[in-house]
Amino acid sequence: MGRYILRRLISAIPVLLGITVIVFAIMALIPGDPATAILGSYATPENVAKLNRDLGLDAPAWQRYFIWLGNMLTGDFGTSFSLNRPVLDEVLERFNGTLILAGTSFVLCSIFGVMAGVLSAANQYGWADRAITFAVLLGISIPSFFLGMMMILVFAVNLRWFPVSGMWPIYGDRDIWALIDHLTLPAIALAVVATGVIARLARSAMLEVLRQDFIRTARAKGVHERGVIWRHALRAAMVSIIPVLGIQAGFVLSGAVYIEIVFQWPGVGRMLVDAILTRDLLLVQGGVVFVAACYVLFNIVVDVAQSLLDPRIKT
Amino acid sequence: MMAFLRLLARNRLALVGGVMLSLVVLLALVTPLLPLAPPNVTATGDRFLPPFSEGALLGTDHLGRDLLSRLLWGTRLSLAVGFAAAIVAATLGAAIGIIAGFYGGRTDNVIMRGVDMLMAFPYILLALAIVAALGPGLFNALIAVAAVNVPFFARNIRGITVGIAHKEFVDAARLSGMSNARIILTEILPNVIPVIVIAMSTTIGWMILETAGLSFLGLGSQPPVADLGSMLGEARSALITNPHTSVVPGVMILIIVMSINLLGDGIRDALDPRLKSGALSRPMAATRVDRQGAVPAATGAGLLEVRGLETQFHVKDRVYRAVGGVDLAVKPGECLGIIGESGSGKSVTALSVMGLVASPPGIVTGGAAYYDGDDLIGAPYARLRAMRGRNVAYIFQDPQATLHPLYRVGDQLIEAMQVHQPVSNSAARAKALALLRDVRIPNAEQRLSDYPHEMSGGMRQRVGIAMALANDPEVIIADEPTTALDVTVQAQVLSLLDDLRRSRGLAIVFITHDFGVVAQLCDRVAVMYAGRIVEEGTTREILEMPRHPYTARLMACVPELGQGKRKLASIPGLPPVVDRLPPGCAFADRCPKAQPVCREGDIPLDGEGMRRVRCLFPETGLREVAE
Amino acid sequence: MTAALQLTGLSKTFPVGRKLFGGASGRVKAVHPITLTVEQGETLGIVGESGCGKSTLARMLVGLLTPTEGRIEIEGAALDTADPAEFGKRIQYVFQDPISSLNPRKTVRQIMEAPLKLLHGMDRAERGRRIAEIFDSVNLREEFLDRYPHEFSGGQAQRIGIARALAAQARILILDEPVSALDVSVQAQVLNLLADLKREFDLTYLFISHDLAVVEAVSDRIAVLYFGSVVEIGPAEQIFSAPRHPYTRLLADSAPVVGRPLTEPEAKGTELPDPLNPPPGCAFAARCPRATEVCRDNVPPLEPDAGAGAAACFHPLAE
Repeated sequence: MGRYILRRLISAIPVLLGITVIVFAIMALIPGDPATAILGSYATPENVAKLNRDLGLDAPAWQRYFIWLGNMLTGDFGTSFSLNRPVLDEVLERFNGTLILAGTSFVLCSIFGVMAGVLSAANQYGWADRAITFAVLLGISIPSFFLGMMMILVFAVNLRWFPVSGMWPIYGDRDIWALIDHLTLPAIALAVVATGVIARLARSAMLEVLRQDFIRTARAKGVHERGVIWRHALRAAMVSIIPVLGIQAGFVLSGAVYIEIVFQWPGVGRMLVDAILTRDLLLVQGGVVFVAACYVLFNIVVDVAQSLLDPRIKT
Repeated sequence: MMAFLRLLARNRLALVGGVMLSLVVLLALVTPLLPLAPPNVTATGDRFLPPFSEGALLGTDHLGRDLLSRLLWGTRLSLAVGFAAAIVAATLGAAIGIIAGFYGGRTDNVIMRGVDMLMAFPYILLALAIVAALGPGLFNALIAVAAVNVPFFARNIRGITVGIAHKEFVDAARLSGMSNARIILTEILPNVIPVIVIAMSTTIGWMILETAGLSFLGLGSQPPVADLGSMLGEARSALITNPHTSVVPGVMILIIVMSINLLGDGIRDALDPRLKSGALSRPMAATRVDRQGAVPAATGAGLLEVRGLETQFHVKDRVYRAVGGVDLAVKPGECLGIIGESGSGKSVTALSVMGLVASPPGIVTGGAAYYDGDDLIGAPYARLRAMRGRNVAYIFQDPQATLHPLYRVGDQLIEAMQVHQPVSNSAARAKALALLRDVRIPNAEQRLSDYPHEMSGGMRQRVGIAMALANDPEVIIADEPTTALDVTVQAQVLSLLDDLRRSRGLAIVFITHDFGVVAQLCDRVAVMYAGRIVEEGTTREILEMPRHPYTARLMACVPELGQGKRKLASIPGLPPVVDRLPPGCAFADRCPKAQPVCREGDIPLDGEGMRRVRCLFPETGLREVAE
Repeated sequence: MTAALQLTGLSKTFPVGRKLFGGASGRVKAVHPITLTVEQGETLGIVGESGCGKSTLARMLVGLLTPTEGRIEIEGAALDTADPAEFGKRIQYVFQDPISSLNPRKTVRQIMEAPLKLLHGMDRAERGRRIAEIFDSVNLREEFLDRYPHEFSGGQAQRIGIARALAAQARILILDEPVSALDVSVQAQVLNLLADLKREFDLTYLFISHDLAVVEAVSDRIAVLYFGSVVEIGPAEQIFSAPRHPYTRLLADSAPVVGRPLTEPEAKGTELPDPLNPPPGCAFAARCPRATEVCRDNVPPLEPDAGAGAAACFHPLAE
């Protein structure tokens, strides 16, 4: 097992390098140069050229890539000109917020999605199946930002059950209860779509498995129907559900961008959108690379979980 | 195509989705012709008019623009961008996927590495990076959404293509002289298109959501032009004071995406052949029983006695009479063979006994199965479950598929015991070990912790047998247990079964299509054809003097080892399909001796004692067959 | 007379597993070097159990797999290209699974026309005539031509597969388990049809099967494959009644035969050798009751015996 994890980690290196290349290439496509963006369109050409030289932007692209890569490896992601602080500091601080939000949502959608899918499949065409199918359809059809806005309107403005926005109260203790209070609405809004997708997939994976011969074997040896569903069928269905959980984690991270904006949540997504609008490219680059790298590592965890579940995967 | 549309229309939800979407699309198409206020002209005096105001049916926004007009123009834009992104992504993705999947090897490796790289991003990061590079704007948002979806299509289509490229008809096409390009166009593509359509129909909605999302963030359509997403984004600041400006575009997105999803599901269901046949239904815990008419009484002819069993499959409006009235009995220590070709109903008969026929579509519509005098067919689930594996155990055909792939064989054996008896783990483990030794598995101790995929076919089938023996059942039903095995392994498994039956006094019902196997293992044989027994008797009687023309001719078809090169006897024609059984003898159309009377009425299974035949003109001697 | 098919030292090795940085971590020899001759008009049967390499061999013979080593000569001319179309005109293949060997989205006519058009460049009228002829000889009705494969039973689909192979006008057919997916009563129909076609078109067959009785019933000579090698070859009427290789005898004794009592033909361990780690000597030695030291260390060559056969065994069974 240790060898397997090591192997997966080593094989992630080219992927991580690929990510930096892609990000760098996209950013190199940008017309105009950052110096103009920094200094404004009224800057003199001399000043722009000087800043370009200072930033090392006059070197060929491949040199700039390696300089950028080398700096990142030493923890230097550059400095954000719009915030005037090191990119890494800002990203780390913001990523913390995103992690809380997206992590909670991911746990919610995994648990409820799988449960809903199993219940749906176990009662195929029954009322529970119909109700779940309908809820899932609504869930995957509603834009999460619209859902978030409606939740604010109903639960925060009208019912006043939860705060409207933010991560912490402006006055008062920053304790876990305050966090839960602020987290509930955005986490649910973010989880809904992924729950729907996972539930659908879990349902069809369960239906697929329930028709297999080994389920008939379990029944023929007298296993209770409950055991057939939860012990035999779900375990086998998890083999195809787990990779989807990995993909959905990416979707939850992505959806977090919208939810962070709607709920004014201090996360990395909101930071990225602001950085794009102010053309703070180092911040965009750094943020994208950092989050993508975290996601790659998370997918290794998913692969390891998969190999623990399925002995047929060579470790 | 027509069949596809008909199937689609039959799906009520898909129809609703289709109608809703058609309405929206129609509205979007005629928008320029409608007498609407100009969507982008501001009138600050009329800010935030509520819905149903004079001249503004849905009210106005923060700049006093007519919401209805903006909604329809925005819908037009959102639909156009969503569909365009979907088509671009599907075309590019499918092309990449087909090429990677078809050529395989290095091409595949390079392409898929690239795809993996792109999929290593949470998709929005990539979209944001692209928009950051190209600058905000609706067209750039379209490019970004299409680009992040290409890898999903590529990976999906590649998987399907790999499956198709390894099909035998592709090899056949190569041997017919087709070039690779031609194979891709005429062999692969037509088989992949349904998958592309399914993938597209299920992702279009999502792409509309994504473009709306980028516009919502202010990175898509730029003011004053608005799509639905940017309408929502602009309305956000007035969410609390004037929620209608948010609700209007939000609900529209919901309606569009939901109708697309409904329609998409319908398309998927209509194109997926497995759904057409109802094969994706979840089989219930026990076969449905819906017995018409009187239940025949037990006669005490055996420990397990099947009387007048009828099992049907109801698929759509067709009724397949898989088993059409079967009587069987087996005594302790006896081995009864059921022999027949595929579709003869032999397996369904065996599975019906313990309610293991997949249902839907299977239904037991008549008869009874008595175990020691108790009817199993009508028994409540709890009783049936308690007897499964405990009194009547099964051995199935393909040991690869019948063992759970993710549990160790030892645990599967232990589970078989613990669902029936309160045995401790250690006692169950000891018993499991003893069972593996009983079925002559070498190194039994180590094998307990093997997974099924670590064993050979013959060893797996021994585990299957051990599992059947776990609770010392009185009856074992073996459904073609050696068909998937090589001959040398088959010989071992058969002799094992024979020894076990003698040493434990088991009653075995052995289902097979192989006369050689029957001859070696069974005491008595029942021959099935088109869902009914056509002949039964002791193995010796049947093999030496078959009386039903079908049995006689079937035996003549079987080549026997040791007779050299020769012309084989054959039976002309095909077995009847069991949803359209002819009246009278089902074999009449293939029988050289058939008379008009054979096709007229039900022919009984006649004879003395256990030697019976369902024929009006039974064979009288071997000579007749040889002619 | 030149042989219809001459294989010289034909072998196939597959790379398996993947190391961290490219490259295969192991090699599996699916087919050990095989040298075989099939005479004009002969039916050579090939039997063996699953995993013995018989399908790999067949796919090499029609160009669907490139041999690792060795050469294939058809009617005296070498065929070492990897272009299946080149092979297609001279040697054809009938597949095991009749349904999956027909493209579900093409009509039977489209399937039949491909080889006529692409291999022989026939025009439309000519193709129609030829298809009618072929369908007549495989006893299929012409009205089937505009139907799709899923409308046919297994036996009918297999006739279509045979008809397609005939359309290429190759004189050699590789029949890869052509009847193992069919029921006994239909199996005999197809086997008899194959025998008739062979006479009518003067064909040469290579008939691959796991069913000893079927192979014996259709073949002139039979080669027995074990673990990628030919262990015995001989006339069909002798090979199972008087086997020389112990494995051939095990096969013959294992086949269920009416009237023979049930006995376990083999008491020793029955696991096949590990392809990743093949034994140095005879692959059958571990299961063989006659094995000695020499068998475990040396690979026995295929040596002709007194009669028409040959066996790869150091201790062949006496007549």
